[in-house]
Amino acid sequence: MDLLQVIAFGVLLGGVYALLASGVTLIFGVLDVVNVAQGSFLVFSALFTWQIWSLLGLEPLLLVPVMGLLMFVIGWAIYRGLLVRVAPQGPGMTVLLMFGVAIAMEGVLNIVFGNEFKSVTPPYFTSSFKIGEIVIPYPQMISGVLAVVVLGGIYVYLRKSWAGRALRASAQNKDGAALVGISATKASSLAFGIGAMTAGVGGVLLAIMYPVYPATQYDWIARLLGIIVLGGMGSIPGAIIASMLLGISESIASAYVPQWAPVFFYGAILVILLFRPHGLLGEKTREDVAA
Amino acid sequence: MSNSRIRKGRRGRVSAAVASLAVAGLVLTACSSGDGDDTASDSQDSTESSETQEEAADDSAAEESTTEESGGMGDMCGDDTIRIGISLPLTGDFSQPGQEAQRGYDVWAELTNNAGGLLGRPVELVVLDDASSQEQVVTDYNNLISQEKVPLLLGTFSSLLNFPASTVAENNEMVLIAPAGGSPKIFEPEPKFYFFAQQATAPDQANPFVNMIASLPDDQKPKTAAYVSMDDPFALPVIESMQEQLEAAGVETVYTGIYPEGTTNLQPQAAAIAAQEPDLIAQGSVFEDGISLAKSMVQIGYSPDFMFQTTAPSFGAQYVEGVGEGNENGVFFAVSWSEKAPTEGNAEFVAEYQAQNGEGLVPSEDSANAYVAAEVLQTAVEAVGDCDNPAIADWLRANSVDTILGELSWDDIGRPQGDFLLAQWQNGTVEIVAPEVATTNGGELIVPKPGWQ
Repeated sequence: MDLLQVIAFGVLLGGVYALLASGVTLIFGVLDVVNVAQGSFLVFSALFTWQIWSLLGLEPLLLVPVMGLLMFVIGWAIYRGLLVRVAPQGPGMTVLLMFGVAIAMEGVLNIVFGNEFKSVTPPYFTSSFKIGEIVIPYPQMISGVLAVVVLGGIYVYLRKSWAGRALRASAQNKDGAALVGISATKASSLAFGIGAMTAGVGGVLLAIMYPVYPATQYDWIARLLGIIVLGGMGSIPGAIIASMLLGISESIASAYVPQWAPVFFYGAILVILLFRPHGLLGEKTREDVAA
Repeated sequence: MSNSRIRKGRRGRVSAAVASLAVAGLVLTACSSGDGDDTASDSQDSTESSETQEEAADDSAAEESTTEESGGMGDMCGDDTIRIGISLPLTGDFSQPGQEAQRGYDVWAELTNNAGGLLGRPVELVVLDDASSQEQVVTDYNNLISQEKVPLLLGTFSSLLNFPASTVAENNEMVLIAPAGGSPKIFEPEPKFYFFAQQATAPDQANPFVNMIASLPDDQKPKTAAYVSMDDPFALPVIESMQEQLEAAGVETVYTGIYPEGTTNLQPQAAAIAAQEPDLIAQGSVFEDGISLAKSMVQIGYSPDFMFQTTAPSFGAQYVEGVGEGNENGVFFAVSWSEKAPTEGNAEFVAEYQAQNGEGLVPSEDSANAYVAAEVLQTAVEAVGDCDNPAIADWLRANSVDTILGELSWDDIGRPQGDFLLAQWQNGTVEIVAPEVATTNGGELIVPKPGWQ
C-alpha cells in the first residue's frame, strides 16, 4: 500500500479536525471555558443541514454560511443567557453548565430528529479524484479547503479588525481592556459566537462525510478536547498542528496497526504533556493571540 | 444483524484538569440521567402502587385474591399486575437500538394486555435508562430486583451491557432473557439464568454465508478474502469464525485488521484492503464503520465480488442513505428476523408496531428481537404457571418456544441452537436468501456483487 495515500488521507482528516477544534480552543483562549458542548453544536448543525437538504434538496455547501450564522447567534445567546452568569463561579462550573447544555441539546435533537442516523448525500459525497496515484475524496477535499478559509478568516479577523483586537485584548487582560473601554462581556460573547460558528460550518461538512445522530457528539468532543490539550489550550495554530498530528498518526496507525491507532495519539499527548505541560504551542501562541 | 451496537464510551484523554472536570461532569450526568430522579420516582411509584414480593408472600389476603384470580397460579408474581423490570440504553451511545428495543417491548406489552395479560393479569414494564453505561446497567438491575422487587426481568441491549447485567441476574437467580447479547464471552461463566433470544450466538452468524459460498460453483467462489472488524464482542467473533471456516475451505486470507471500538473513519483500511484486491471483503461492523468502509471503497474505486458486513446493512434505509443509493446492492448480512417471515404472530407484531409508531414504518430488527425476548418469557411463565425464576430457567433449557423468529431452543448455558438467516440487498430491498426454508425470493443470489454506482 502506498504510504503517500495513507498520509494524504491523514492530512485531509487533520484538516477536518482543525476546523472542528478551532472553535473550542478559541473559546478557551478568550473565556477560559472548556466548551464541552461543541460536539453537540456540531451535531445540531449537521442535523439541521440534513433537514433542510432533505426538505428542499439544496446543495448542502450553500448552507455553510447559514449554519455558521445560526450557530453564531445560538452561541452568542448561550453566552449571554447562561455562561455569563456562571462564569464567575470558576471553570469547574462552566464545564458542568456546558455538559448540561450538551445533554439538553442531545435530548432535544433526539425528540426533533429521532434517534436515527442521518446522512447528507449530494452527488459528490462518494466521489473522488486522483493526483497521480493518490485518491482524494471530494468531501474531505472540500472540508480541507473550507478549514483553511475559515481558520484564515478567523486569523485575519482577530489580527486586523477592531473587534478582533478588542477580543484579543480582553483575552490578555480583561481589567486592562475594560480600562480602555472594551467590554469583557461583549468580547466574550463574540468569542463564544465565533467558536460556535465554526461548529456550524463544521456540522455541514460532518453531515456530508459521516452519518450523524444525536449521540454522535460524544465521538467528537473527545477528539476535540485531545487536540486542544495537545496543541496548547487556547492556541489556534497549536490546534492546527495537533489536528494534523492526530489525523496523520490515526491514518498511518489505522492502515498498519489499526488496533493500536488510539494509543499513538493519546500516547503522544501523554509524552508531550510530560515535557510541555502547556501543550505544543500553549504559551507561545497565547502570547501571539494576545499581542 | 443488529446484535451489538457496541459503540463504547469514547471520552477523550485530555489534560488532568480537563479530564477531572469531564469525569466529574460525566458522573453527575450519569447519576442524574439514570440513577437519579427517574429511578427515585420509579421507586416511589412502585412503593405506592404495589406491595413487594415479600410483603405479598406475607399477605394472605392478597395471596388468596391472587390465587383466585389466576386459578391458583402465579403466587410469586406478586399482586395483580405483573411488573417486569428492564434496563435499556435509552440515552448515550446505544440509544438508537435501545429505543428500538423499548418499542418492541411496548408492542409485546400492549398485545399481551389486550389478549388478557400474563397468567390472566395485566403486565407493566418498569424501564430504567442505563445511559449506555456498563456501571449503570448493574445499578439498574440491582435496583429493579432489590428496590422495585420486580418478579421478572428482561434483558438490555448489546453484548457489552448484557454481560454485566447477566452477572446481576445470576447472583439473584433471576432469569434474564436478552434480545441482544450473543457474544461468546457472556457464556464463558456458564450462566444458568441467562438466555439469548435469537437463533444462535455470534460465531454461528457466519455459518449461512459460509454455506452459501460453499454452495457456489467453483468458478464463482472467491479465491482471496480480506477480513476487517471492529474490536467488538459481537462483531469480531463473527468475522473470526468466518475467516477460520473460509480458510479451511481454501480461501486465501490477504488482509486481516481489527480496529478499536468507536472507529468511524476507515479510509486508511480501505486503501490497505484495496491494495490486496481481495475477491471477498468481510467486515465486522456496527454502523458508522460499515458505512465508512463501503463509502471509502466507492471513493477508491475498488468493488469486490463479495461483500459481507455485520449489523450495518440491517439498518435499512439508513444504510442505503449512508452508502449512497445503489451501492448497497449485493451486500450480504446475517439477520435474525424479516418482516416478510410467515412465522406465527409476525403479522400481528408488525401491525401493532405500526399502530404505535406510524403506519408504513417497518419495525427494526432490534424491536423484533426485544419482542421475541418477551415472547419467550411469556411462554415460559405460562408453562410454569408462576414467576418462579429457577423453574422458568429449567423449563427453557428443556423446551423450545415458537416465536416470530421461528422456533428457539437453548442449551444448558442459555445458548440458542438454531441458525441465522442470510440476507442480501437486492435492487433496493432486503431478500432472505438462505436457509432455503426461509427464503423470500426463492434463494436467488446476486453474485458477483454489482459494481459501485
